This record gives sequence, C-alpha cells and structure tokens, in this order.
Amino acid sequence: MSTIEIEGRVFEVDGDGFLADPHIWDEEVAKLIAKHDGIEEMNDKHWAIVNIIRKNWEEKGMAPMVRTICKETGVRLKEIYELFPLGPARGACRVAGLPKPDGCV
Amino acid sequence: MDGFNEDMKLKGLEPLRVNGDSRLLTHLNACVHCGLCAESCVYYQVYKDEHFVPAKKVDIVSSIYRRYNTFSGKYFPWLTKARELDEKTIEEMVDLLYGTCTMCDRCTVHCSIGVDIGYLVRTGRTMLANMGYVPATLQSTVNAAINTGNNMAIPLDEFTDTIEWLEEDLQMEVEDDNARIPLNEKDKDILYTLNPREPKFFPLSISAMAKVFYAAGESWTLSTRMYDVTNYAYFSGNNEEAEIIAQRLFDEMEATGSKRCVLAECGHGSRSFRWEGPNYMGKEFHFDTLTSVELLAEYIRSGKVKVDSGKNTERVTLHDPCNLVRSGGIIDEQRYILKNTVSDFVEMTPHGTNNLCCGGGGGQLSMSEYNERRMKIGGLKAEQIKNTGAKIVVTPCHNCVDQLIQINAAYKLGVQIKTMAEVVADALIIDK
Repeated sequence: MSTIEIEGRVFEVDGDGFLADPHIWDEEVAKLIAKHDGIEEMNDKHWAIVNIIRKNWEEKGMAPMVRTICKETGVRLKEIYELFPLGPARGACRVAGLPKPDGCV
Repeated sequence: MDGFNEDMKLKGLEPLRVNGDSRLLTHLNACVHCGLCAESCVYYQVYKDEHFVPAKKVDIVSSIYRRYNTFSGKYFPWLTKARELDEKTIEEMVDLLYGTCTMCDRCTVHCSIGVDIGYLVRTGRTMLANMGYVPATLQSTVNAAINTGNNMAIPLDEFTDTIEWLEEDLQMEVEDDNARIPLNEKDKDILYTLNPREPKFFPLSISAMAKVFYAAGESWTLSTRMYDVTNYAYFSGNNEEAEIIAQRLFDEMEATGSKRCVLAECGHGSRSFRWEGPNYMGKEFHFDTLTSVELLAEYIRSGKVKVDSGKNTERVTLHDPCNLVRSGGIIDEQRYILKNTVSDFVEMTPHGTNNLCCGGGGGQLSMSEYNERRMKIGGLKAEQIKNTGAKIVVTPCHNCVDQLIQINAAYKLGVQIKTMAEVVADALIIDK
C-alpha cells in the first residue's frame, strides 16, 4: 500500500492514488485530493458530481453511469470532462473517495 | 506467496508441456542473447535496468522449461542455468511478466532471429494464472466480465437507459426522429460492440459511431446481452476464462443472426476475439469480423459516407495501438481515414509497426500495483506527442485513450485525445 501526502495530511492509497479506505472520506479529504489533481477550488458543479458519485456508491456499491451524473446534476457531459480532466473515473471517483473502478480506466 | 504447494507447481508447469507444440518448443529454445531487444522495450529505455531487457523475460520462462523438460536440466540444472519453479522464481516472474511488460510486441518485431517474445511472456502469464498469481486488480476486471457479462459490471437497466439517452441526443444532433441506436435487433448486417468504459464514463465515442452508422444508412445493432469487446483474460493469461469471454461474443453473433461482427476501437479486444479467439475456442468463425477502423475506412473509400477534411483544421497526430499495428497489421486504414478527415495530420516518430507503446497495454491500466512504472514509461509517449506540435491525438483504442488522458495531465501536454470515430463524425457531411 502506498501513501500520498497532501498539505501535511497523509493518506493510504492504492497504486493509482485511490483511497485505501473509502470510509475515511469527508469533504476535507475531497478538497485535498482535488487539489492534488490541480483543481484548486471545488465549485458547486464539482460538489454536485462528487456527491452523486458518493451517494451511488454508498447505495449500490459502484460508481454511477456518467448518464446518471448528468441527469442528477444537470451538468452537461462535455463539461464533466472539463471539470475533471482525468475523467469521471480517475478524476471524479477518486475525489469522491471510491475504490478504483475495474476496466480500461 | 502464501500457500505455494506441489499441486500448484504442477499446474504452473502445465503450459510448458510442449506435446508437439513446435511453436512453443522453437521459441523457448531460440534466444541467442544478442541483446538487440533491449532498446525495443519501453521499460528498458526508461529504466536502463538489465532485468527489464525482453530477453530476461524469455529467460525466466525458458529456464523453467529446461529444468523440467530436458535431460540436462533435470539432472544438471546448474549446467544449463535451469531454474526451479519455486516461490522466489514466481515472485520474479510476477514482477517481470506482469509488472514490466505491456505485451506491446515491439521486441518481437525487432528480435534478430524472430523469437516470439510476446508469446513467451503470455505463456509465462498463463503459468502464473494457473497457479493463481494474477495481480488482484487485473483479476478483478476479469471476474467482473465473467460474472456480469461486462468488465465494469454495468447493470442491464443502466446500460439500456444510457443507450436511450444517447439515442435522443443523436436525434437532436442530426435533426431526425428516426435516427436510432438499435438494441437487440435480429438479422442485421452488423453487430457492433463497445468497450464498457464508453457507456459507463465516455459515451461520446458511441454517439460518434452511431452518427457515422446513421450517415452510412447502416443496418446494425447492439446487443444488451453481450456488447463487451474486451477480454482481460488475454492479459491475465488464463485461457479458460479467455475462451468463456470470446465464446459469448461468438454465441451472440449466432443468436442475433448478424452478418459481420464489428469490434469497437480496442486493440486487445480486436486481438483477443478476431486473432486469438479462434485459438481459444478451437474453431473458425463462419462470419466476418473486422475492426471499426477498417469499417470507417471502407465507408470513406466506397463513398458510403461523405467527409470534409476542412472540418477538422487543428493539427492531429496518431497513436498506433500495438495490438492493431504490430499484431494485427492494421496500419494504413487509420492513416487513410485521417488523410480524408483532417487537414493537418503529422506522424509521430517512430510510428506504425515501430511505434512506441503508450504504456497502458498488457493490462497495465488496470494494475494499480505498477502504476508508477506505467506513468514513467508514458513519458516516452509524452515526448513523441510534444514533438509533433499536435493539438489532438487520435487513437483507435479506448485503453490507449485512457493512458493518453493521464499522460496528457501528468506531462502537461495540453492536447485533446479522441477516438477515430469522433474524428470521422466531426468531418461528416450529412445530406438532408
């Protein structure tokens, strides 16, 4: 297991930088991971996306389809890729504290 | 290395029982250690570590072969550097064969005497898979595919909902309520496949392909039961699981009565179904299978779709997926497409058969264990891209797309990454 240090806080993460224990996640952690990815300030849209991802994971045990993210948040698809340049998986899901999704992501 | 025992060892040695397999026998015994493969390898180029030289990867497999299958190896192993298959060897195999190889086959193409190095690495992975030593993160993706029918475990209703959403979008885009993304239709000319990352997170490529199908007036369908083009068991080395996954697509071709199977832009998916699939299943396909790159080129060449290269004016470069170019020989089609759909196309150096792997192949993208190495070898690709001055990098492989997205961010390239279908869709002229 690796660790990353962001602004003095140390997190245990997998090799891809996803939280080893998704349960330690809170808003403060989200802000720090976002910062680590170059997102200096989380805006309302960032939060809406992260919250729906988190909710879906807590209820269904997996990340939502990007379709669900768009529907629930009202954010346009192309804008999601601008808000999270690493995409919904390595970008948004990581900020939301989820384990890394399987597949080509 | 918990619980290694004699039973597992026998299973591990099984793939080396040559039994008249002259291909395996030849390649296991042919390496002359000339060392020319070293510079072929992206890992060696970056790390300059002699352990990463492809010949070393061949060595570890062939030294185990000698230990158990040759007279000298059985009785005088030290004379032929024959190696015991024990925990120490296994640990080294896992690190070398899974952790420092993208199965890009560049070494195979460069080998001075033609040793199929990629095949031996895959054989070594099969040995490890037989013993249960597939890295957990890689196995997890295989399990998702086996257990749920797609490698991201997308539930059926969520998949259908996404496709319906994309269909509505398409209708708005082309201003035609009859534009469709057909699901589960029988007796169509084409059964199209997807990489699950498309419906899950990156559906623009589905929209793009659907738009091209619309423009071509194609008779096509997707199947909700089996749409996954990927086969991660090709990466893990587990041939039984590879067969199960390939068989599903084969069965779906029969169930839907489709004439041609079109594989989404996915290097290993194309390889594992079209070129390896018949071997896994031990039978020939009685239907045509082709990659979407070939189909897109066919549409443009035949005039079935009209395109205008003036619609894509930014500088574009092309990343060649290893499995398509080196293993599949699909080299000219993607260039033909780009020459017709973009006005400023520049090649990377090197490119085509000699192209460098993006670093995400061989299952690397899914294996968190080796993330640091993956991003480091990706630096070579970043340099190649930078040197072209391109603003857009196109690649006909979703796996490469994801690695390129990460390279783009990590090396601050400031480029856009697109699939082939997206570029073609942007260049389309649709007659009303």
